[in-house]
Amino acid sequence: MTPATSGAIRDLASEPKKTAKAAIIGVGRMGLTHLSIFGGHPFFKITAAADGASLITHGISKYRKDIKLFNNYEEMLKNEELDAVVIATPPHLHAPMIEAALQQGLSIFVEKPFTLDLGQARKFALQSEAQPNAFHQVGYVCRYTDVYIRLKEILQSELIGRIISFNAEMNGCTVISKGNESGWRGERNTGGGCLNEFGSHAVDMIVNLFGRPSQVVGSSLQSIYSTKVEDLVRSTFIYTSGIVGSLYANWSDPSYRKPVLKVDILGDKGRIMADFYGLKIYMNHADSSYKKGWNTIHLPDLTEPVPFYVRGNEFTRELYEFANGVLDPAGANHCSFADGAATQEVIDMIFADASGE
Amino acid sequence: MIQLDSVILGDNQFFGINHMSQEKGQELAERFSDLDKIYKAYHTAYELGIHAFMLNSNDRAAEICNYFRTHKSDFPEMVLYPSLPYPHKYANLVAEKGIAATIQDVLSGQSALDLLGMAGKSLGLLTGDLTKLMELLVDVEMKMFKGLDFKAIYLQNVITDLLLGLEFKEIFIQYSKHIEKKYSATPGFLTMNVPRLSAFLQECGITNATICGSVNKSGYLMSPNVATYETYFIGPQPYPITAMSIFASGAIAPSEAVDYVKAQGISSIVFGASTRAHMLESMQFVQGHQ
Repeated sequence: MTPATSGAIRDLASEPKKTAKAAIIGVGRMGLTHLSIFGGHPFFKITAAADGASLITHGISKYRKDIKLFNNYEEMLKNEELDAVVIATPPHLHAPMIEAALQQGLSIFVEKPFTLDLGQARKFALQSEAQPNAFHQVGYVCRYTDVYIRLKEILQSELIGRIISFNAEMNGCTVISKGNESGWRGERNTGGGCLNEFGSHAVDMIVNLFGRPSQVVGSSLQSIYSTKVEDLVRSTFIYTSGIVGSLYANWSDPSYRKPVLKVDILGDKGRIMADFYGLKIYMNHADSSYKKGWNTIHLPDLTEPVPFYVRGNEFTRELYEFANGVLDPAGANHCSFADGAATQEVIDMIFADASGE
Repeated sequence: MIQLDSVILGDNQFFGINHMSQEKGQELAERFSDLDKIYKAYHTAYELGIHAFMLNSNDRAAEICNYFRTHKSDFPEMVLYPSLPYPHKYANLVAEKGIAATIQDVLSGQSALDLLGMAGKSLGLLTGDLTKLMELLVDVEMKMFKGLDFKAIYLQNVITDLLLGLEFKEIFIQYSKHIEKKYSATPGFLTMNVPRLSAFLQECGITNATICGSVNKSGYLMSPNVATYETYFIGPQPYPITAMSIFASGAIAPSEAVDYVKAQGISSIVFGASTRAHMLESMQFVQGHQ
């Protein structure tokens, strides 16, 4: 499997060669965000959407006559002429949709987590490789944040030398009371729970920065408010290169106003701490760009504006990469199906380790 | 056309919202965990001549509004610029419960239906009409500001920009009508996409509105880019502008920040300051550069 292809992650809109037509499957919270971000895109148009009747589909049918609505995606794929689909349904529904879209040779953007089954994820990654004329991407959006783009560049430049250890943390206040488990987020088999839905961002960042660990040990899943799923995940990752890292993901921490991903990395030449606010770099020795000791880079100094801001630069950046990729499948892809499968594998390793398998 | 106040004190600093660092945000949240500290800061600002406050309709704002109502004589010329809603409240609820349940919760939890004289009508029917629903949600959020003076009522940027991308024109039109008619205020929009929003509002045929967006020379939170904003500010502007994020969260020195905003022909600024010294400094820069 080929990993994410490199390329300028900030190269947002290449020259339009034609207009791509796409459909969204699932217009809930994320689907709505995606629809909004694509609004006004110069060469990527959402022409259809599939979902059950809801407040949102009602709004689309009333205010967006240019978007054809369908009750089910199969009917839509059969009847609409499309270049691409954006899948933003609950995770357990992804697999048959991906399958159907792959069969038609469409470009696919699928929300994270990729699927809930590693076998399927691997199969899709292989099928994706066999379709060089289509573009396939998984929506691990943290890869597209200004801070983490820079962090990856810095690690690749070996600024802090050989990596020795890391701590990756994802915290938020998504579930902070009992009795709210009616949706898909409250069930493991629908893709819910902290690890699948929330902590997967941290797992993916670990895979993005350090690759897949050879061993996952000491994993634990704790429930705080949820009854059927975990709210807190801990795990230790061991690499053949000698790196040891830890994961902590908690979606039930009311002290966080919004979700925050933090990564703290120790190398033999320094240390880097990253969160959504910026980077703090400790240098054991000065180099041409950084002084000895602490160097802080704040978010405003890292940020590159995007053509249209909806919920953060990263959401626009990932979808504009998709739009570019639909018209130019050889273009940069920073979260391919192979990447999604690699992250899926590590999530599975954590579940297996925690259950003592 | 609305006469915007030249200096408006924002509220992020009181609620632990800081774009510079999480620690700074935590520090502020702790410092202002006591509402009396927030009231004291408002008194200080008022004494320094800052009479306009932008206040987001989060849970604590209701108590702040109570305080303003019971201390009206201390703030005789105070003008509020409410912004609606508190986006993270909705984001968290939606993540936990889904969109429909969230709306049901927000509306029923506050007895909004009774208050708005909608009791007896089915919520299901109401939620079928997005513009009506938007009016209800605005009214629920606006309850806390009752009896206070306000000039403009802003839609939070998360909502404005989401709806802008969705191109739901009717919602913008009805929001504007509702704010003008029910609250006798100017419809306001916070946005990270000033030039695009302005063009869209014109397409909607909205003539009376005000926009609040980031304006700083580093282009922080300015989409698509600084150059497009600068070109926009040179041309005739259909909507009065208030500049926010002028210091780019501290990345730009105050005098430089104010000079840049003034150079764009903008005469209204919203800024966050948590101490007397910072308020005074910001005031002096704004006044000194007029």
